[in-house]
This record gives sequence, C-alpha cells and structure tokens, in this order.
Amino acid sequence: MSHKLTSNSLNNRPLKDETKLLDTLFSTVVKFSPKLLIAILILPVLGGLLGVLLPAFGWLPALDRTQFGLQGFQQLVQTPGIAQMIGLSFFSSIVSGLLAFVITLLLLANYFDSPWLARIQRLLGPILVIPHAAAAIAIAFLITPSGMIARLLSPWLTGWQSPTDWLLPHDPYGISIILGLTLKELPFLLLMTLGAIAQPELNIKLQAQYRVALSLGYYPITAFFKAVLPNIYPLMRLPMLAILAYASASVEMPLILGPNTPPTLAVAIMNWFHDVDLSLRIKASSGAILQLFITLSVLFTWWLLEKLTQAISSKSLSNGQRTYGDLFWSKIINIFTLLLIGFIALALIGMVFWSFAGYWQFPLALPEQWVIMHWQSALLQVQTPILNSLSIGLVATSIALILTLLTLEFEKQNGAQLSRFSSVIIYLPLMIPSIAFLFGLVWLQEAVHSKATFINVALAHLLFVLPYVFLSLATSYRLLDSRYAQVAASLGASPIKIFLQLSLPQLLMPIMMASALGLAISFSQYLPTLLVGGGRLNTVTTEAVSLANGASRRTSAVYALIQMLLPAIAFSLIWLISMRKKRQKAQVKLNNKTASYITKVNR
Amino acid sequence: MSSVFENNSLQIKNLTIMRQQTPLLSLNETIKGGDVLTIMGPSGSGKSTLLNWLTGMLPKEFQADGQLYLNDANITKVASYQRNIGLLFQDALLFSHLSVAGNIAFAMPKGDSKTRAIKISQALSDVGLAGLENRQPESLSGGQQARVALLRVLLSQPKAILLDEPFSKLDSQLRQETRQLVFEQIRQHQLPVIMVTHDESDAIAANGKVLHLKTPQQDI
Ligand SMILES: Nc1ncnc2c1ncn2[C@@H]1O[C@H](COP(=O)(O)OP(=O)(O)OP(=O)(O)O)[C@@H](O)[C@H]1O
Ligand SMILES: [Mg+2]
Repeated sequence: MSHKLTSNSLNNRPLKDETKLLDTLFSTVVKFSPKLLIAILILPVLGGLLGVLLPAFGWLPALDRTQFGLQGFQQLVQTPGIAQMIGLSFFSSIVSGLLAFVITLLLLANYFDSPWLARIQRLLGPILVIPHAAAAIAIAFLITPSGMIARLLSPWLTGWQSPTDWLLPHDPYGISIILGLTLKELPFLLLMTLGAIAQPELNIKLQAQYRVALSLGYYPITAFFKAVLPNIYPLMRLPMLAILAYASASVEMPLILGPNTPPTLAVAIMNWFHDVDLSLRIKASSGAILQLFITLSVLFTWWLLEKLTQAISSKSLSNGQRTYGDLFWSKIINIFTLLLIGFIALALIGMVFWSFAGYWQFPLALPEQWVIMHWQSALLQVQTPILNSLSIGLVATSIALILTLLTLEFEKQNGAQLSRFSSVIIYLPLMIPSIAFLFGLVWLQEAVHSKATFINVALAHLLFVLPYVFLSLATSYRLLDSRYAQVAASLGASPIKIFLQLSLPQLLMPIMMASALGLAISFSQYLPTLLVGGGRLNTVTTEAVSLANGASRRTSAVYALIQMLLPAIAFSLIWLISMRKKRQKAQVKLNNKTASYITKVNR
Repeated sequence: MSSVFENNSLQIKNLTIMRQQTPLLSLNETIKGGDVLTIMGPSGSGKSTLLNWLTGMLPKEFQADGQLYLNDANITKVASYQRNIGLLFQDALLFSHLSVAGNIAFAMPKGDSKTRAIKISQALSDVGLAGLENRQPESLSGGQQARVALLRVLLSQPKAILLDEPFSKLDSQLRQETRQLVFEQIRQHQLPVIMVTHDESDAIAANGKVLHLKTPQQDI
C-alpha cells in the first residue's frame, strides 16, 4: 500500500496500462498464494484421511459395500501377530527416538565448547539428505552375516570361515530397524538443535550461562545438563515429535531391515492394501486408523517421559553436585563418537565395495576382483527411473518454491507472519503418518477418475517437499532488510519489480539451498511414489527398495549409491555456485582495497 | 560468615597475552584478600580477554604466556571448573529454569537440603531480598537480579572474584547501593578481587589500585 502511494506521489508520470495490469495481477496472485498453499497441504491430507476413515468403517462402494460396520476392525484384531506388529511399531519408534535424543545430548554435552561440535556437524550433515531407503540398504549390508562388520572381525576374533547365521538384519525384535532409524534421526535432531541454538541472542546467553556454571565448579558435561539443556529442550521438542511420528509409521526402514513374520504395522497395512484380494482394503483402512492411534500414543508416551524426567530431575538440578563421573563419561563419549563415525563410514565404504565387487569370498575385507559390470548394467536400466525422479522432483520443487516465495512476499507486504493455524498446517504432512492418508488419497483420485499419474505423483511429493522448502526459506526471507524495498519503492519501482529484481536476487543462495533440499526430499519419497503412482511410475528410490530384498547385493548397492548421488549432485552444484560467488565478492573486495591503497598513495 | 583466610591472594606473574603475534597486554600484579584491583581502559584494550585468561577460558585466537597463582598454588593450567574463581558480569545471567533459591542452591556445595535452604533464606534477607526464594528470576528487578547473582557467586565459596562491568546496567542510585553491598560482602569474605569498569566512580568506590590498559597498536 505504502509503496504505491510513495511511487505515485514522487512520479507524476502516468503508468502504462500494461504495467498496471501486471501489477494488479501480481498483487492478486500474492494475495491468494497463502490460501492456495494451505489448501494444497490441507485438502489432500484431510481428504486422504476421510478416504481411509470411510472404508475403515466398512463403506467402500467400489466393492459394493455401503453399510457401516466394524468388520474391518474385527478382522484386524483377528490377524495373527497383530499384537507383535503393534509392539514392533511402538517400541522401535520410541527406542530409536530415545537413542537419537540421548546420543544428541551426549554429543552436545561433550563437545559444547569445542571445535569438534562443528566438525561432527559437518560429518553428519550429509547423512540428512541420504534417502531412508539407501541408508537402510547400507546398514543392512553392514550388519548382515556376510557384511563388513563380520568380515573385519573374522576369522581372527570370531573364528568364522563362512557367514554364520546371526540375528541381524530382519531380527524379530526390531533391533535392526532401531539401528537404522537412530542413525538416520540423529543427524536430523542434532542439526535442528544446533540450528536453533545458533540464533545469536540465545547463543550468547547459553554460552555465558555455561561459563557461569563452569566457574561455579561444574564439570563440563554436568554443566551442560544442568545449566544449558533445560533452556534448549523446548527447541528440540518439535523436531523430536516429528522424528517419533515418522518412525512410528515409516515403511522403507522396516521393509529393508525389519522382520517379515510379522512385520511392523505400517508395512503390514501396505501389504494388505496391495493384496489382490480387494476385500483386504477394509482391513487395511482400519489398520491405518489404528496406525494413527499408535503414532498418537508414541507422541503421548514421549510427553509422559518428558514430564516424568522433569519431575525426577528437578530437585537434582540445584542439589549442588558438580560431577557425575564426567571425566569417565567424556572418555566413553569420545570412544562412542569414533565408533559412530566409523560405523557410518564403514557402511558407506562397504556399499561402494559391493557395487564394484566381482569375486569376494567371505572373511576377506576387500573384494578379490573389481568390476564395473554392475554399474554398467544398472546404468542401462536406471535411465527411466532417473528421468522420472528428476522430473517429479523438479515439478514438485518448482511449485513448492513459487508458492513459498509468493506466500513469504505476502507476509512481507502485509507486515505480518502467517497465523499460528497456518504454521501448524505447514507441519501437517510431517506429523501425520503418510500411510494413514496416502491410501485415502489414492482412493479419492480413483473416485474422481484422475488418470494423470505423473501429476498425481508430483502433487503427492509436493505435500512433503513444501514444508521443507518453506521452513528453509522462511528465515532468510523474513530477515531480508525491508529498507532496500522501501528505497526502491520510493524511487518508483512497482511491487513486482521489487520482488523480481530485488528480493529474488538477494535471496539467490537461500533459494538454491531450498531447491536442493526440495529435490532431495522428493528423490527420497517411496510411499507416495509407489501408492499414488500405482506402481506405474518407477523412480530410483522405488527401484532401490524393490531390489533391496531380492536382487543381487551388488545391483542393490549400485542403486542405493545412485540414490545417494542424486541429492549429492544437487548440493554440490549449489556449493560450487556459492564458492564462485564468494570468490567474486573477495575479488571485488580486493579491487576495492587496491583502489583505496592507490588513492592513498597518490595522495 | 566469618570465614577469614588471612593469606588469600591472587598473583599474576609476567603475563603477556598476544593476538596474532601482536601483544595485547602485559601484566604483573598481586592482589591480596579483601583488596580490589580495578582495571580500566578503552574498548578493545583487552579487559575481558584478561578475565577470560584468569578463568581459563581464553579463546584459541589468543596466546598467553605467564603464570597464575591462587593462594600460592599455581593454577595456570588448571581447568576452569576447578579454579574456584567466581565471576560476576554486567548481566546477572541467572538460570531461567530455576527459581531464585534454585539459582543460589546451584552454586552452593552439596549438602543437607534443609541446611542449604536455611542458608539461602539467611543470605537473601542479608541483602534485603527476604522471602523471594520461590520467585522466577525474570520477575525480579534489575537490581534484585544483580543481588541474587552476587549471592550465587559468594555462596559458591570462591577463592577469588572477577567482576566485568558488574554495575553498568544499573541506574546511579541502584549502582551505588549494589556496589556498596558487593564490596562489603567481598571484604567480609577477604577475597581478592579484579574489577573491570569504565566508570571512575566504581574505581573510587573500590578504593584500591587502578590499572589503565592502553589501546594496543593496530596494524593498518
Ligand atoms: N574470540 C576472539 N577472537 C579474536 N579476537 C577477539 C576475540 N574476543 C575479543 N577479541 C579482540 O580482542 C581485543 C580485546 O577484546 P576485549 O573483549 O578483551 O576488549 P575489552 O577491553 O573487554 O573491551 P570492552 O570495553 O568493549 O568490553 C579486541 O580487539 C577484540 O576485537
Ligand atoms: Mg569487555
């Protein structure tokens, strides 16, 4: 509003009709984009939930079932092993969440004031964009009886000359699932926490209070737990809940690492939905509702644990005890950190070895023969999946970017952030188990006879890409100095001109980062691609998952590596561009310095 | 509160702090228990850096050469959490997750919780804050927070105290009162004190040696 006033009062020349039209169009688009963004997120999720809720209670016109009833739930209860499925889902998510949380705290506590924290952050950061499926495959290869761990320990320690049958992976207790989930959740939680405490004001306060605790005689780890953690836990809660919600209903990890008889509930639901026996769809829908309750009870359990810990520990916070064996724990954490990094490195190296391995007898740690055959044959077959991955990713990410930028522009023009309601909605697809609404979504799409597979899949990806793109761009956009825009407006620039020629160029790097993140998220989607695409649209990720449990380990390794390479390429491009920009800036600075030096000398 | 250490002292021997090979400051001082050494100097002259060295928290951008003795024990290489040197900053830096009593209890040595509670109440009423045990730190005024921070340092039984512009956020009336209280308490405990300040009146009130740091030469 104020832009227009100033521009008109300063420049009395009449605006051309064309630009006027463009301006009105732009302001209309900007005005509607927040609503569109919310609608795109909320309609499929709610519609999908409805599309699960109705069949869950027996209403499925496609099968001529139009009577409400509880048969679905009855069948569900009578399923053999249902209690085990529930237990597996519940405990694997709680335990993995708890482990990721505890490890994050130990790393923070031990390295809070040390340069190692930043180093660990840089080491673990890339794992964030490794798709769950690829990570699961890497871990499966590591812990399997003929995997790298067994090879390194044999025969000198174990005495094994051939792979011995041990529990992992696919163990009935879900230990492998827990291992996979923990390793994948840990970097997420750590990076989210570090991002949150990097806010300048908070960071200064935390550092100062930590030092106060040290000066009062508190040993470093105890100082962290007693003086720092209570202040940062509130910032960890939301990412923590997101992790738990995801873990309780994830499909890729249990599919690749979990047991089959019975599997986790989410995997079972997926199998029922895919059964040729269509009547199982009713049971599957009831299962999806049950899944929602399990996820809720996992979140509730976390809340209970939080309250319990608070109640137990509140007294000891100020009991004056300065150390709880800090020096011992510090050593343990150092060793653990080394093991952790070694474990991850070994998993990745093992996968590279497998992808190039020819003949590779058991206890040997290195392949006896190196071949590129697996890559060659995979590359021949993977072209279509790669093209599909790329095109779906590009479409979903572009839509997400445009919507996000317009919505943030709306915020800026109106000088207000999104309402609380809208901010919660943005998290919705991350918090509601996708298995609980994606089937409903498919059913809805079938109901309206939408046959455009590609668009359907891209829109389903958008649900998961949009939240991340929004979250990653929002901070930078909101920090953008509005004085530039005010100056430009006072010089007569229209809002669209300011948006295109001022705001966007200033945000180039954050936009690139958000795009790479969006692409990485889209590349890693398994369930939406599989379900919404109805198996007709194969991406690298769906191929990798379907190969993980059957095909040769070597082919599977190649696919998992390709899965990791796609986001890695996206991020490397961004990195290269940012380095170039930095060098240009340094060049400009140098030139300025030289210039000022020359002027000085000349004077 | 009559714990008197006759031979309390803080001794800085031949200290030189450097940043990127350029010396920032050099110092050679002994502060006896109950004495206050006031350090003044322009911004950037290295006052906070000196305090950081004294607490064992010198950022790695600096190199230091010299020895630090506390009550005749060489603590140059001792970790910050084992130095027994208390800190008081311009911000009270109270823990917002603990009550007023909790903040003080945090600093006290371990012990019977009843005895601790009695000591806390006693200390609070000594500085005119009787009955505020269960308040949240944020709900206190700036002057009250400063006094709680002082109690927190004193009840941790430090062997020396460092003050970094401790009164600069208080208005002049409050400043005088708080200052008086701090010096009174510190003298009672016979602790050696180093105070950094920009304010002449602080230096006068401290009634001790005043050291002026110079701005280090800048490389242009
Ligand atoms: N972590 C650090 N790394 C590198 N240089 C630093 C660091 N901390 C401070 N400096 C520099 O060291 C010099 C001394 O800083 P210091 O904070 O000790 O000054 P000061 O005397 O306390 O100033 P003020 O009165 O403004 O508090 C300054 O030039 C400052 O920029
Ligand atoms: Mg300072």
